[in-house]
This record gives sequence, C-alpha cells and structure tokens, in this order.
Amino acid sequence: MPPFAGSHPTGFLTSQQRTDSNIVTIDVGGQMFQTTKQTLTSAGPKTFFSSISQTSSLFTPFIDRDPEIFSLLLSLLRTGNLPSKAKLFDLQDLIIESQFYGIENLLINSLSNPEQLEPFNLQKSLQLPLNGRDSPSTVATTPYGSLHVAHGSKITTFDWSLRRKSTVLTHFTAVDSLLALSPSLAAAGANDFSGLQILDLENGYVKDTLNWENVTKSGSTVQAIGSSPEQMFVSFESSRRNSNSIVVYDLHSLRPVTEIAHNEIYGADIDSAIPATKLQWIESHNLLMASGSHSGPSGVSGNIRLWDVRSGNVVWEISEKVDCFADVAVSDSLNAMFKIGVNSGETFYMDLKNLGAEKSSWVCLGDKRKVLNGKKEGFGCKIETQGNQVFCTKGGDVELWSEIIMGSSNNRIFKKNLMGRVQDMGGAKITNLAFGGSRMFLTRKDLQCVEVWQSSSREL
Amino acid sequence: MEEESTSHGTAESNATDRIKLNVGGKLFETTLTTIRSGGPDSLLFALSNRFSNDPNPVFIDRDPEIFSVLLSLLRTNHLPSTSRRFSKQELADEALFYGIDSHLRSATSPPPFSGIDASIVCSIRPASEGLPSTFTASENGSVWIAHGGQLSSYDWNLIHSATVRTHLDEINSICRVWPEIAAVGTDSDAGLHFYNFSGSRHVGSVHWSDPLDPRIFKARVNAITASENSVFASFDCPHRENCILEVDKAKLQIVSELGRQSGNQAKHMAPGKLNWVPATGVLVGSAVTGGAFGYSGYIRLWDPRSGEVVWETNEPGAAGRSSRFGDSFSAIDVDVEKLLLFKLCSKSGDLAMADMRRLSNDPWIYLKEKNPSLWTDGGDGSNSSVVHCYKGQAFVARGGELEVWSRVQEVVECESERERESDGEGVYRRNFVDKREDSEKGVIKKIEGGGDRLFISREDVEGIEVWESSHSAGAISVL
Repeated sequence: MPPFAGSHPTGFLTSQQRTDSNIVTIDVGGQMFQTTKQTLTSAGPKTFFSSISQTSSLFTPFIDRDPEIFSLLLSLLRTGNLPSKAKLFDLQDLIIESQFYGIENLLINSLSNPEQLEPFNLQKSLQLPLNGRDSPSTVATTPYGSLHVAHGSKITTFDWSLRRKSTVLTHFTAVDSLLALSPSLAAAGANDFSGLQILDLENGYVKDTLNWENVTKSGSTVQAIGSSPEQMFVSFESSRRNSNSIVVYDLHSLRPVTEIAHNEIYGADIDSAIPATKLQWIESHNLLMASGSHSGPSGVSGNIRLWDVRSGNVVWEISEKVDCFADVAVSDSLNAMFKIGVNSGETFYMDLKNLGAEKSSWVCLGDKRKVLNGKKEGFGCKIETQGNQVFCTKGGDVELWSEIIMGSSNNRIFKKNLMGRVQDMGGAKITNLAFGGSRMFLTRKDLQCVEVWQSSSREL
Repeated sequence: MEEESTSHGTAESNATDRIKLNVGGKLFETTLTTIRSGGPDSLLFALSNRFSNDPNPVFIDRDPEIFSVLLSLLRTNHLPSTSRRFSKQELADEALFYGIDSHLRSATSPPPFSGIDASIVCSIRPASEGLPSTFTASENGSVWIAHGGQLSSYDWNLIHSATVRTHLDEINSICRVWPEIAAVGTDSDAGLHFYNFSGSRHVGSVHWSDPLDPRIFKARVNAITASENSVFASFDCPHRENCILEVDKAKLQIVSELGRQSGNQAKHMAPGKLNWVPATGVLVGSAVTGGAFGYSGYIRLWDPRSGEVVWETNEPGAAGRSSRFGDSFSAIDVDVEKLLLFKLCSKSGDLAMADMRRLSNDPWIYLKEKNPSLWTDGGDGSNSSVVHCYKGQAFVARGGELEVWSRVQEVVECESERERESDGEGVYRRNFVDKREDSEKGVIKKIEGGGDRLFISREDVEGIEVWESSHSAGAISVL
C-alpha cells in the first residue's frame, strides 16, 4: 500500500502545493492531525475516512474520539502496521476504535494474517480457559484466526484477537464435527444426532438444519465436514448405519448441489460400510480427499479416496489393511499426502505427482521396522498440513516435518523437529490441532482450555 | 456503525456544537451531544449549557486522567483499558461527581448471566464473623449478607458500604423491604424485625399474637418475602402452630393473617420458603423436611387477597405418576419471570418443572439428562440440595456441585424435530457451572441471583462467592 502513490514522489509537500492541497487536516478530540487523501482512501471505499477525504479542505473535520488511539490507527493506515508504542495500549481499545472508523480489517490483516504463520517460531504462549467441566471435543478456525471450540453441548467462540468470547448452548450432547463458516457462523454435527446444524453463534440459534434423505428414512448423523472455497462437504451416515454418503452443498446458499460416494450396505462388504470421517479439499488438483477407517477384530482397516466432485467419480483410491492410517492430510504446496500409521505411530508420505501410477505407495519417514508390531502407537494422533509444513501430534507433543530441497536426489527428504521448549514438552494427550491467523491451537485430553501457540513477534 | 458515527457528531458537525473543557489544566474538546449524554441532571450537562457561547474553555478543577477515562466512556460506551489504573471506588466517585454514574454502571455491569459460561470473579468476605448465615441479592447486583448477627451491605460494585449490628444472635432469613431497610428473622428468637442501613438502627418489629388464643406466643420467623406493598413472613410458634402474616411495607404493621395451620404433620409445617409471584399476585410457600423415611413436604399457592389456597401438592402421597411414588422433592424454587415451579426429586435426583399457568393434579414434567455419562446415580438422600431459578435458568446444587439447566434456543424450522419441542422436555439441557475443584470447597447452602451475578454461600466457608458471565476471553499467559 503506497501512501504516496499520487503525483508527489515523496511525503514532503511544499507550502505552495498546499492550496490545491492533498493534505487533509483532522481535529480528533481537540488534537490536530495532518495526512494525505491517499492515506485516508486506503481505508477503503465507504469508510469513515474516505468520506472525510472527500470533504473540502476549507474546513477541518472534527471527530469526537480519543486522539491517542487515533494516532495509532493513522499509522496503521499509513504503513499497514501498528507502531510499536501500540503495545502500551490494550488491543481491545484499538479494536473498538478501529470498528468505529470501519478499519478493523486493516488491524486484522496486520495482526492475524495467515501468511504470517511462522512454523519454526511458534511457542506456547496463551491458555484460553473454558467454563464448566467439559473438555473440548473439537475446534474450528476461520482463516483470520477466530476460533470456535465445542465442549460438551456448548460452543464457545473467541474473536480473532482472542480477547472476547461468547458461549451458546446447542442441541447436541457433544459436537463431533465442526466447521467455521464465518467468525459468527458454524456448521456442527455429531455421531449421535441427526442432521447438520448451521448455528448462529452470536445470537445462539439454529439457522438451518441440513438432513440427508436416506433410503431407510432414518436419521442422518454427521461423520465429517469439509469445505472448499465454494462448497461444503458433509459426510452423512444413516442412523441405522446401513448407508452413507457425502453431500455437497453450496457454501453460500447452503443448498445441496450434488451427492457423491453414496453407499448402500448389503451383506458383509466392510469397505463400503465405512463412512468418510475426514474430508479435505485439495485445491491444486480440484479433488476431495475422503478417508474413513474401521476398527475390527482383525485390526484397523480403512480407505482413502480422491473424488472428482463434478463427475462424482473416484479418481484414485487406496485400501489400508496393514498399518492403517490414524489420520491423513494432504499438503497442496508439497503435493503430497501424509498419514500416521495407527500401529507404528510413524509418519508416511505419498507423492501426488505419480498418482494412479502403479508404484504409488507410502514412504515411511521414520523407523520402518516398527510397522508390524501390532501395537496401536499411532492411535488418536492427528496430522495437519500448513503451507510447506506438516504437523503431527504424538501423545502430548507436536512434531513438525519439513521438506529439505537437495536437488539431486530422487527421494524427497523430510526432517522432523519437536515443537516447543523443554518446559512445553509432554503434558496431556493432544486431542485437537488447528491453525487460524498466524496461530496454532491445541486442545488436550481432560483440560478445559485451549492452548495458543504464536510467534513472539506476532503476539496478541 | 452509521448510527454511532452520527450520534457522536462527526465530520459534518459545525463548530457551535463543540465544547472545550479544561480539566485540571488539560484541554479536552468534544461535542455537546457527547457531554450531554449523561442526562439533564448531570453536572456536565449543566456546564455545557452555561458556557456555550464563551470562547474560553470551561474549567473543571478535577483530575484530568480520570476525566479522560470518563470522556472515553461517554464517547464509546466502553471503559478504556486505562481505567484499570484507577480503583472501582475512584471511578464510581468521580462518575458520581460528573453525574454520569448510570453510564459507568451500564459499562461495568456484567453481561446477561448465563450459567453455561460463568466463573467465580471474587469472594465477598465480611471483616468479622465471616460465616454468612443468609444473604439477599438485589436487582442491581448489590448484596446484603447476614453474618453473626450483623448485616453487611455491599453495593453494585461489591464494595462494602455499611454494616449494622442487630439485636439478634444469628439471622436466618432476610428480605429487602426498601432500598435501605431489611426485614430479618431468626430461628432462635421471636418476631420479624426491620433494620435501616442509613443510621444503622432498628426501625420496627412485628410479632404474631392472637387475643383469642394465648398459646400464640414467641412465634419465630422461618421465611420472608416481599411484594410491591407488603412483606410476607411465615411465623411458627414453639408448639408448631404457624401462619403467614402480611405486613404493610409503609407502616410496618400487620395487615392480615393467612394459611394458619396446626403444624402437627409434615403437610402442616410452617413454610420454610416463600416466593411472591408478581405477575399473578400469588404467594408460593413450600416446606420440606428430611428424615429417616425420606423427604416430605408441600407446595402451596395462596391468593393473599382472599387468603384462599389456590393450588397445593403434598409429597409423599400426592396423586401422581406411580413411577414417581416415593420420589418426593427435596428442594423447590419458583421462576417468577417464566411462571414455572421447579422441584428436585430426592431419590432419582431428577429435576421436574411445572407451568404455573396450567397447574393440575400432576403438572410435573421431568427433565432428563440426555448425556449418559452425566447421569446421576440418584440422590442418596444425605446430600443437601438447593434449587434456584434465575434468568430463565434453573441452578441446582447437589452437595458442593453446581449445575444449571438451561433452555436451548428453539430450532427455527422444527419440522424435523418431531414433537419433542412441544412438551418441553427436549429443550432443557444440563451443564456443570463449576469445575471439579470448586465443588470440593464445601456444601452449597444458598444460591441467589441478582444484577447478572450469582451469589453462593457454602457450609462452613467464610464469605460468599460471586459468579459472573463475561465476554472477555480471560487468556492466561503461559510463557
């Protein structure tokens, strides 16, 4: 954002130029401020500032607000960042003033931008306590860092600055899948409750209930929710557990668009009886990753499928019998799929480049010998990708895998690091892992709080 | 956002709308609308009138820093974070000086109380004899605590404002009659007594007597409640005969006597709890005793104008569902806003609800816990329990644990929800308010809500806990 993008090459204007002036003088609470029209219009059209910049220069607009905070917000307008003296002020005050001037989005951009996530610089810094006795079952985030936490039958929402929260009561006994549609809107579903509810978290009511009409006319429980920029994907299973499907909704109108992966179960066909429990949109391939697993007497088995949503066809699939995944995630920028083996607890990757080729198989990143020892070391582990990094939880720790580009070798090299300092290691088992804004959020077993990891330079 | 910017006199406001103030040497400039938002009785309003044509700033000989906080409050309706530099008392005093204390009150008072999202904000501990025997909360969030024969008043900021020593050794029931006058009664001494906080003096007493019956003597007060014009107190003689006396609030004299009964059975005991329901003009009295054979008691509704009983139920023995026989209630409360009666069943531990507009032979709807992991294994009878209704939620204390039953907002399109919504069972949900460690502090004796706060006293614990909801995330730094 160039503040001096107009005809003047520098910020200094001579006194002669003043008459046709580009300079705007504003009186805020008795203190005078001078700035340029360009700076004011950078707040965006239809904001308070753009209307001021259009007024004639003959008279000084007066704003009846606090001048000190205004000076900070003016710096934000000029540079896109808050000056360091803003640290002396409470962020909540800045937010309220920025809302008054209609430039909260600039503040969010400067403080909670997902592009500012620094994986190697994240440290455990905040705990967001939750009232009551229920520990979080699932969390969901918006790109700019608002956070929805489901605990028991309640959903608590934290705003992007993690300063304000509100809690609503839902019909669910526990929410198992949650998707943040906006800072105040979420889609929630449960394994034991029929229908997907679109919840207005500001006013605490159910805006809409989405059901899947299955053949047996029984209820439809929600197994997973995912989204692409345009669509929402919901994996439903009938309450009688004899059919399942993935319904595609338009993200804005919430109307069903199409239905893929419809399975009716006859007999003992285990593979089709497994509903998808994780849905992830792969932007670069325009495919939907759907994975589901089932724990039986012979161990855990599951499948991963990549769906072309438009045609409703499976593009690629893999059945997992040995060391099935505990969790799967696809990284767009690494063009690879990652899993944690439920038995070995090790991380594997598969290149998406040669999908469909016969040789596509998992490459173990850790100790290959541990694969067949029958234990369930990976049980409950989570894996998430963010940019070029892969985050895996192992018990109470988070492993960070990153690719090292060496150029020559054919095999890709991934190396891991344990996140956090010695004092942050271990602790109760991690149950959820999510990213929003420039922060990472963790929840742990039996702890009624959310842990926030952020970079020291981007602290809120 | 648009409305806000116009109301605060923005770019287009002309110079005559503006006002300059010199507070303790520091210059402030604001608009007349802002400065007058305190209302016509405030000092700031008066100042803005007097000097509107004077080019010199109005001089106010007060601290400029607190003024800047209060000016921000007038401009934004929020207290800025700089207010934390000042104590609540300082801010309240200064706001009172400028006549904008109602602004301060609305900005600092907690958000609507929600039991699913509440935490302990503080504990009020009287300086001496700190075990509260009873307390009463008022609608503005202030509380009167009775402890060791003293009455202490804490204002809406929860700052101690006055203590009165009464002639009683221990106060067991208390009721707010006027903003400064409390009605108190005790188990150990006769009569209903009125004390005034301003001047801390005794202003009257009422005793139950009957010229025709000399045995009516030394009657003690068990419960007190107040309507707009009257105070109702249940009196109980040493030989257990009892009645409810209606006392005129203005004259502090007995108006009438109702519900006189012999007291020789559980269903004729003196009511241990009285609730006035202003919407219907009905007085609700209830009594519960627990013994070796379980709980017994009654709920009775009187129309005080006629003195007639409108509705009553006795347990055990009331006609009702056979499945609930022997599951008599151990605690009762009335939701006077939503016109609901709540009872807590002693054996099953279930909460039951009855609509006061449709009371019948068996009006109870039993609220069920939907979450199997939270099913109670039934009350074992030894736990003391309390029910209190506040803001449409029912708070239930079992021993030291505090839970809330709150209504889930109705589904907008409820075709899919079958008929569950209509009978009211499906819409209440149970959640714990407290954490496990809170429940270990002691058995909850009394719960009362007021001013979006919930006050709780516990057995053998000094002081009372104050619970509030908050929109603040309350993040804790763990660096």
